[in-house]
Amino acid sequence: MVTELPKTDVVIVGAGWTGLAAAKELADAGQRCVVIERGDWRHDATSFGAPEEHDELKYARRKGHMIDTPIKTLSFRNTSDQTARPIRRLGSFLPGKGLGGAGIHWNGQLWRPLESDLSMRSHYTERYGAAVLEGTNVQDWGVSYDELEPHLDFFDRVCGTAGVAGNLNGEIREGGNPFEGPRSADYPNPPMTPSPPLQRFRDTARAMGYHPFQMPSANVTRAYENPYGAQLHPCTYCGFCERFGCGYFAKADPIICIYDVVKDHENFELRMNSHVLRVETSADGKTATGVRYIDARGREVFQPADTVCLNAYALWNVHLMLVSGLGTPYDPKTGQGTVGRNYAYQTMAAVSVFFDEEVWSNPFMGAGALGMTIDDFNGDNFDHTGLGFVGGGYISANQTNGRPINYQPTPPGTPSWGAEWKRAVRENYLHHVSLACHGSSVAVPQNHLDLDPTYVDDFGQPLLRMTFDFPENDRKMSAYVLSKAEEIARNMDNVRAVGTSNNAAEGQGYSVVPYQTTHNTGGAVIGTDPATSVVNRYGQMWDHHNVFVFGACLFPQNLGYNPTGPLMGLAYWTLEHMKTDYLANPRPLMDA
Amino acid sequence: MPEFSRRAALMQLGAAGLAAMTPGAAISQNPFASFDAKPWAFLTPDEARFLAALSDVLIPQDAFPSASQAGVVDFIDLQLAGPYGKGADLYLQGPFGEATPEQGYQAPYPPATLIREGIARFEASGTRLADLDASGREDVARRLSEGEGVDLGDVPAQTLFDEIWSLVKEGYFADPIYGGNKDYAGWRMVGFPGAHAYYTDFIGRNAPYRAPPRGIAHVPGRSRSASPARGRPAAPIHPATEEG
Repeated sequence: MVTELPKTDVVIVGAGWTGLAAAKELADAGQRCVVIERGDWRHDATSFGAPEEHDELKYARRKGHMIDTPIKTLSFRNTSDQTARPIRRLGSFLPGKGLGGAGIHWNGQLWRPLESDLSMRSHYTERYGAAVLEGTNVQDWGVSYDELEPHLDFFDRVCGTAGVAGNLNGEIREGGNPFEGPRSADYPNPPMTPSPPLQRFRDTARAMGYHPFQMPSANVTRAYENPYGAQLHPCTYCGFCERFGCGYFAKADPIICIYDVVKDHENFELRMNSHVLRVETSADGKTATGVRYIDARGREVFQPADTVCLNAYALWNVHLMLVSGLGTPYDPKTGQGTVGRNYAYQTMAAVSVFFDEEVWSNPFMGAGALGMTIDDFNGDNFDHTGLGFVGGGYISANQTNGRPINYQPTPPGTPSWGAEWKRAVRENYLHHVSLACHGSSVAVPQNHLDLDPTYVDDFGQPLLRMTFDFPENDRKMSAYVLSKAEEIARNMDNVRAVGTSNNAAEGQGYSVVPYQTTHNTGGAVIGTDPATSVVNRYGQMWDHHNVFVFGACLFPQNLGYNPTGPLMGLAYWTLEHMKTDYLANPRPLMDA
Repeated sequence: MPEFSRRAALMQLGAAGLAAMTPGAAISQNPFASFDAKPWAFLTPDEARFLAALSDVLIPQDAFPSASQAGVVDFIDLQLAGPYGKGADLYLQGPFGEATPEQGYQAPYPPATLIREGIARFEASGTRLADLDASGREDVARRLSEGEGVDLGDVPAQTLFDEIWSLVKEGYFADPIYGGNKDYAGWRMVGFPGAHAYYTDFIGRNAPYRAPPRGIAHVPGRSRSASPARGRPAAPIHPATEEG
């Protein structure tokens, strides 16, 4: 028995950053929006207050804000000849749950893509020849930096981002990232205050001829009102950022930045604790008719809609397409099909810097986006001739989350437990910083997402299955960027030991156990060719013109940057085309 | 007075000294004997003794308390009795089968069962970990951590070790409301000031931050004494109160 509800203009699956942005923009445009969210209602004011929120065990270890694997997980294997097993416990990445989605537990590291990132295939082909991309599925995004710039800028304003523009309308400026594309305006707020280790990284990197700058931060630095009228407060550097919600209203999140200003809109309705099972399609298959979901009372409901927006977490958007039969599933054997193709991740390595007692890092002070960064080895900011890889990553001294259960720095050679371990933790905790190498991830034919043949979720639907290992390209890239970071560390003063770690080290398979990043990308990528993309350059499905797709699942390959900035730029780009072009005259916005 | 047994602590101290002089000497007749009288939420006294013995190898006593002295076994007991132990956040649907280390936790039961069965398999060999001397305990810890040289039947030794080591670290460093980190032992050891956190004016300063630790429940602790200079003895277990 399925309850059919009255039709709405737009149904939006997921109440995170992109879902709430879509609801706000489309509701303002006169569209009646129904947002369907799997998790609980919550609010920064009532759910994330200190000191109760500052509970490392509950939120960082037991992952109180993350998706519960008994309800939603996926299976994983490194290669197609293995049997995938369910990710029974979250580890390598942490999708969120509830109002605001993963947007409440992010760090607030708010980046934008390089101009060359968005045309990666044409750019590298032109500069180095097509051979450097052999064996990869690297492709152009189909949307240019200039087209995205106003939307990237708008999201900086939604968040109250703190930083210094390195390129203001073409003028390179001291203190910012000189490699970034031109910005139409400076950041709305001044940069964060660097801690002692960050000051030392900055001075050493500069002396080595690099271009350090303060990481752009959505942990805001002064009282701020965003373009929607939402109020944010200055960050206290409390050190409980990633994996925590911010009760100080200092870390931009979808609840305080968007939900609060749309919740009373006459065109807005939010249905919590409602789990979307599938998108339904019309008899001719050309359009979606709405979504079927299990509501908070356990009833199966059909919500008809003229337009369907998929705004779930990147992996879940792909899952929803696969279980709904939207688009054509990718087959790695033939290379045909697009849904699940070009899954990519983030290639993380790190240098551990141990200071002597002259330098106090006090790692418990910090903020999610408190970092001093160089972009000299990201994207194609450096000459790749003869290196044998494409892409790169930023190197950043980050003082973000130095809480004592997860942060126990010990110099190389320290035993992993026992008396020596204990002494090393005690001696180094207050005198240590990590340099993150935040590397890109190319798409390759073998890495992909599909449906698991064996395992099912709580609703009886097959789990999403991830097949992934670090491509050779990224292993080389990561080793290279890591070596540059290590050089900087060894040139810093007051350093008595340096250690390195590399998730993509040669001979080491990608593992879902240690946390790396929640930057899962691709699987429903954007582009201009329906043979290699799920959506056209406006985020509209090639196969079903009234389905629009949002989020990092759109990335054709992953950048050397955190995904929230780029994916929100894409979201506002898509929404603009929906508002100004599509809704008045629904049709495919590009010819297939 | 912290709740850990003074007697057990003294025995440990004595045993450590003894073991240093005469390797192989028995640690005591009845280590962690006070555990028999405790109202455990999940553990049996024997299981508690196993966990105390193992966790004190992982975090032994020095100038700061050992794991069991800091309440780690009490912490583990409450964790295993609660949602974590029962596997509330674990996908536990089958089938279970061969898996790679990269695929993570694949035991067909939750942590409470893993630990109970693991200890039972180990002690079924007739050896009780708590009865071994210091080097014997360390040897077992090493074999468990490497997953070699110890027969636990179908219980994966490395998974068992990783789960316990993870719990031990949590018990030593989590907020004291969860039963471990007694008297802020772990936080004082590293210099972590706790849950009440406003550092806007301090973040740029290259200086020690000396506020005493304070947990979620607002109970202030004693501050860490000055950071022990290398080569000198570390701070005492109960350093004099510096502030507040």
